[in-house]
Amino acid sequence: MFRAFRFIVDLFSQRHGVVAFAFFLALGLLMRQAPNVFRESIVSTVTSTIFYPVQLVANSLNEFRSLADENAHLKEENAKLRQETYHAREGLQELARLHTLVRFDDKWDYPIVTARVVGHNPGRFLTTLVVNRGSVHGVKENMPVFSMNGLVGKVTKADMGHSRVQLIVDPNLKLSVMERRTRVVGFLESMDGHLLTAMVPAHAGVKAGDTLVTSGLGGIFPKGIPVGTVKDVRKADIDVMRQMDVVPFQELSTLEEVFVMEKEPDWIIQELLDE
Amino acid sequence: MNNLNGLKILILFLLAFGLQVSVASWLSIFGISPDLVIIFVVTVSIKFGPAAGCFWGFMAGFTQDVYQPIEWLGANTIALTILGFVVGQLEEKLLTLNTPAKVGVLALGFFVTDMIYYGITGLSRDIITNLFLTKSVPECAYTLFIGSIVFYLDRGKKKRHA
Repeated sequence: MFRAFRFIVDLFSQRHGVVAFAFFLALGLLMRQAPNVFRESIVSTVTSTIFYPVQLVANSLNEFRSLADENAHLKEENAKLRQETYHAREGLQELARLHTLVRFDDKWDYPIVTARVVGHNPGRFLTTLVVNRGSVHGVKENMPVFSMNGLVGKVTKADMGHSRVQLIVDPNLKLSVMERRTRVVGFLESMDGHLLTAMVPAHAGVKAGDTLVTSGLGGIFPKGIPVGTVKDVRKADIDVMRQMDVVPFQELSTLEEVFVMEKEPDWIIQELLDE
Repeated sequence: MNNLNGLKILILFLLAFGLQVSVASWLSIFGISPDLVIIFVVTVSIKFGPAAGCFWGFMAGFTQDVYQPIEWLGANTIALTILGFVVGQLEEKLLTLNTPAKVGVLALGFFVTDMIYYGITGLSRDIITNLFLTKSVPECAYTLFIGSIVFYLDRGKKKRHA
């Protein structure tokens, strides 16, 4: 066993590492050329067997350290929340009355699963999180994920005890959003895995400081989850549209806990996704 | 590279990634944080040569790729494998790299890795230019600062690779 390992090391060290370089470069290129299904299986296997257990242990140590701080913070928050509960109850009663008046039936009546963030990209582009809740806890693919502050992303892969969450800054996630003041609908995306931009019709008059929420039109996210605020508005490549820089409500690099909404995609979207 | 060195590099590897996902975000200034993984790959390549450089570059790149969008799988892997090999070769040819030279190699490696990565991911030229100015340049400066501290602390501990 040891001799075989030694032989491989010697082989790779030959010709000033050219053999090793050719081998690993070929592996990398093969990964680039592989179909998405195969890539997904590579990522799933490696995440489940190696990275998730390591991250879980590392995260547990990290969490232990922050427990005291969190306890003090929670006590303070609890006192505030007690005060707010009274006001919220009154607000809810008023809201219920208003809903009845306008026959508003678009409420979030989905169960929520609370999940702890146990891992994220070690690279400089944060596009994925790993959370400690999976299919055994009721989490399924394409379920919306949000935090106390706003939208976080959606579940892309639910394994048994953990899931992968695609963040809203992932360039592959395009999202239908609505501006809260003007009610105009547009779409949000990140072209570089770093900054969020949204496109809305030019006539809507959206300006800096306006708030974006999910529109509920994509079939995956329910209507009304806060997404972010408009930072800057400028002309888009198409004259009739405006492009906006968006600052998300939730700072994604500091997330510790998230909520998974047990909402499955609308049937028509599910059929499209299945295809 | 003997077994003990392999174990040391493995510990360094875990340490680099552990720090990258924890300390790097605390050190973040205006969203700019150092890339400890590139420092790790350059350090290993300088100390242990091109074979170890491209192996650990591959491992580091693949670890980063696992958490990237599935369409980008392999981009970091290829970029860091090339970085590890090139820096290792450079070290073999120039034999002794002093601390300023190592920092120069780190800077060059940082930009080359980013360019390979951006090229592979197929982003448009406008986006690449924007990312280069707003992310690559400031993060490179920050990484060089941290890297120069690491290289300074590591001076005189050079081991010859097999």
